Amino acid sequence: MLTLETVTYRYAGAPRPSLFDVSVDLRGGEVVGLAGPSEAGKTTLCLVASGLAPRTVGGTISGRLLLDGEDVSARPMHELVGRVGIAFASPATQLTGVAGTVYEEVAFGPMNLGLPRSEVLERTGEALAALRIEHLAARDPVRLSGGQQQLVAIAGLLALRPAHLVLDEPTAQLDPAGSRMVARALTDLAASGAGILVAEQKTDLLASVCHRVLVVHEGRLVFDGPAVEVLHDTRMHELGVAAPSAARLARAAADRRLSGAVRERLSVAIAADASRGGEAASAGGRA
Amino acid sequence: MNGARWLRVMVGIGVGAIAGVALYLFAQEWVLALVVGAIVADVVYALLARWQTGDWAPLRFAAGLVVFAAVALGGIALVGDFGEASDVDPDTFINAKAANTWALILTVAMVAGAIVYFGLELLQTGRLASLASQFTTRTYLLMVIGIAVNIILGQTVAAALKIPIYLDSIGTILVGILAGPIAGALTGGLANVLWSYVIPPPFQYQPAAAFAITAVAIGVIAGLLGRAGFLRPRPDRSTGELLIGGLVTVVLVGAMAAAAVIGYQYIFETDVSLLPSTEGVEWYFVALAWLALALVVGAILGLFALLLLRRDLTAAYVVVAGVFTGVIAALISAPIAAGVFGGVTSSGTDFLVAAFRQAGLDVQAATTGQGLISDPIDKVTTFFTVYLILQAMANRFKARFPQGEQVLPVDEGAGA
Amino acid sequence: MPAFIGTPGPSAFHRLNPVTKLVLALVTTLLAIVVGGVIGPVLVAAVAVLLPAAAARILGRLLHTSLVLSLPIAISVLVVNLFFYPAGVDVLLQLGPIRATAEGLAFAIETLARIGAISGAITLFYLTTPSGELVTDLERRGVAPRIAFVTHASVQTVPAMVERAAAIIEAQRARGLDTEGGILRRARGVLPLAGPMLLGSIAEIEERTQALEARGFSRPGRRTLLWEPADSGRQRALRWALLLTVPLLIGLRAGGWLGWLG
Repeated sequence: MLTLETVTYRYAGAPRPSLFDVSVDLRGGEVVGLAGPSEAGKTTLCLVASGLAPRTVGGTISGRLLLDGEDVSARPMHELVGRVGIAFASPATQLTGVAGTVYEEVAFGPMNLGLPRSEVLERTGEALAALRIEHLAARDPVRLSGGQQQLVAIAGLLALRPAHLVLDEPTAQLDPAGSRMVARALTDLAASGAGILVAEQKTDLLASVCHRVLVVHEGRLVFDGPAVEVLHDTRMHELGVAAPSAARLARAAADRRLSGAVRERLSVAIAADASRGGEAASAGGRA
Repeated sequence: MNGARWLRVMVGIGVGAIAGVALYLFAQEWVLALVVGAIVADVVYALLARWQTGDWAPLRFAAGLVVFAAVALGGIALVGDFGEASDVDPDTFINAKAANTWALILTVAMVAGAIVYFGLELLQTGRLASLASQFTTRTYLLMVIGIAVNIILGQTVAAALKIPIYLDSIGTILVGILAGPIAGALTGGLANVLWSYVIPPPFQYQPAAAFAITAVAIGVIAGLLGRAGFLRPRPDRSTGELLIGGLVTVVLVGAMAAAAVIGYQYIFETDVSLLPSTEGVEWYFVALAWLALALVVGAILGLFALLLLRRDLTAAYVVVAGVFTGVIAALISAPIAAGVFGGVTSSGTDFLVAAFRQAGLDVQAATTGQGLISDPIDKVTTFFTVYLILQAMANRFKARFPQGEQVLPVDEGAGA
Repeated sequence: MPAFIGTPGPSAFHRLNPVTKLVLALVTTLLAIVVGGVIGPVLVAAVAVLLPAAAARILGRLLHTSLVLSLPIAISVLVVNLFFYPAGVDVLLQLGPIRATAEGLAFAIETLARIGAISGAITLFYLTTPSGELVTDLERRGVAPRIAFVTHASVQTVPAMVERAAAIIEAQRARGLDTEGGILRRARGVLPLAGPMLLGSIAEIEERTQALEARGFSRPGRRTLLWEPADSGRQRALRWALLLTVPLLIGLRAGGWLGWLG
């Protein structure tokens, strides 16, 4: 379990803190979404949850980061990587630049930890299998698509066997196919027991994978509840969070006073389409 | 710089100058006087720093500097007949012994100084904080960019643009300023070695490894200048301050040029002249020489213009840093170029060497003359480019580097 | 261990430990400098460069690459020394005020022989040693993993940056940037790109730092290697033998027994 306990964080040289009194609980097996407009503090929250802030990026923090109940404030970054991993938006900058194959790229983390070679090989194989990218093992990571590179990056984190994963807008630079790959991977990972925190602007993605959603606004947590409730709440719009397509379509259908039966069939069609991984766009043809 | 620090600097320079002049009057040895004066200045500064702030680090550095100078001067004295006729091949005028010995003496002196500095730190504090703090993950990534830029730009200039500058130290100096002397030194050394042995064609430049020691020295100097806050922006200064800065720059540059020429003649006992005698030389070579000099003057004037336009006093610091680094680099490289390559490295500097050779100078003197023109221009351009790069980087990212604080502008109330 | 990790080289020479190959290149370079004259470097090159290249079946490639690399410097050496040799007395050719001298030619040939041998040695090393192999072996011998990382990453970044620049130039060409014309015009065109590209690379450093730290990069101490190039006692002995030839030949030169190499 990952806990942020009344964390206030200020970047070095910044006039004001970027996070005020933020408290978050992340349990194994659950996918928690993080929504909010840009510059609200989503990235900062991710950096704090992974330990990068303040260790690598400087700044001052008050409050605590707890991993499985332990206060890890005094621990250096390399002792945290096996417990919480973090992935970022840009697939290319997460590549180490020294791996000729995906296999070596994924093995980079365990190699850094100095684990015995047999264990490095075992973990690398497991991570590739967990994300179903064994077929990419011999490929040059630089030549993969954005979605594939993002999966390689996540595999590289999984090889460290963290109990928690933090992802900061992982699909921001991906096309819809790539986004679907990542979304499916997150669902699989949660099913195998990891606690996942994913920040996203794409509320459709959050709607499809998250159990819970937190909303950040100007450095404070303003909402924390079940995904469906939070995302369909009409106050989201004022906070700068776009409602998921399903909600918007439902509202549009209500505005046009379509009959209840039609709206019913619309919702079913949208849900079916969403669960197939596509974007709800062709409702008109099915009405 | 706050008032106390200004005081230390002024007192140090004052005492050093007195010591230097006294030594000159006593022993009539220019170079010795200069070196001893500089050492004394630094020791005095370090003692004052310890007395005023309780910090041992400047004293440790002074100790390392003393050892470096002692070993270097001792080595020169030991070798003695550096440039004597007996070692110069009469047909080629090459003194290979001088080239190799010079590089060897400098390497040994630098290593000795470093051992003393870090040894003292280890003994006093039990750790090597000043070394470790320079090497963060961020530093390593900057080194990668630095090495790549050195090689790409250096190769482009050497292979495609036949102009008498090198532009292969931008990465070295950037890393030195932001991360520290040892990081800068490592960047320079590694870049040159990789450039020769590991980078594939068309980017391979095989002569580069021979000049690794020069790159190391440049990195160290850049790191020390960065730590001293040389490249901190100083915008919106009064006209009076700018004029004084300009004047001081001209004086320092002139002094460095003179010291370089005289010091070189003293050490190697050969004649080197920035302005070879024009008797018996064809007119176009004279014109070439004047053109080269015009370039130097033009670069300096250009920077003064910038100084007045943006009212940024740091332009003066950039010029001084560039000329200083350039002179040191030239003095280190010239014997290597002469001894290993006969003065020719297939870059645009070759025509300058040819010009000097035509004027009757031997290879060593020719490459030194070329170096003393090309290197300062090159390094002033490089420091200026690094300054521009630093301006373009966001403050909050610069601050995260080990020496990043020293390139941020000071809030009002803190002086130069 | 997957088969594609650490594939061995095609010939026995390729499969030598990279440090052995490096020592050979360094020793050849030093010997070419120590053993003066014209015949000396040629002999050194024949034994230490051409012979191994033939054994590794890359003689043709080596000669081609080495010549291409040393051509610019060879031309410079020839021109500067042929026409501007101060001690030149025996004039071969007079083109107006410029004189080509026999002494200058002799000196140029000597320098060229030396440069050719050095170039051959370096090219042999680089053609038979993938960069990852050398870095991995150095790391196995104790070089700090993070220095090994910097070396490896720099070697990868050089072509990567150039590719990026080429891509940008292509995009600019589509918008009408003039990429034809002489070197100078093209260089002028590239220069405005150099700034943004460099700044872009520098801006990436922050994210890359975070990504590396998230993979345990800053952990002190050694790290595990997936594979290691082979080494043996015989190779170790060979390296020492090679290194000892340098002081040996310096001594021979000082004693004047190498005069016959002219």
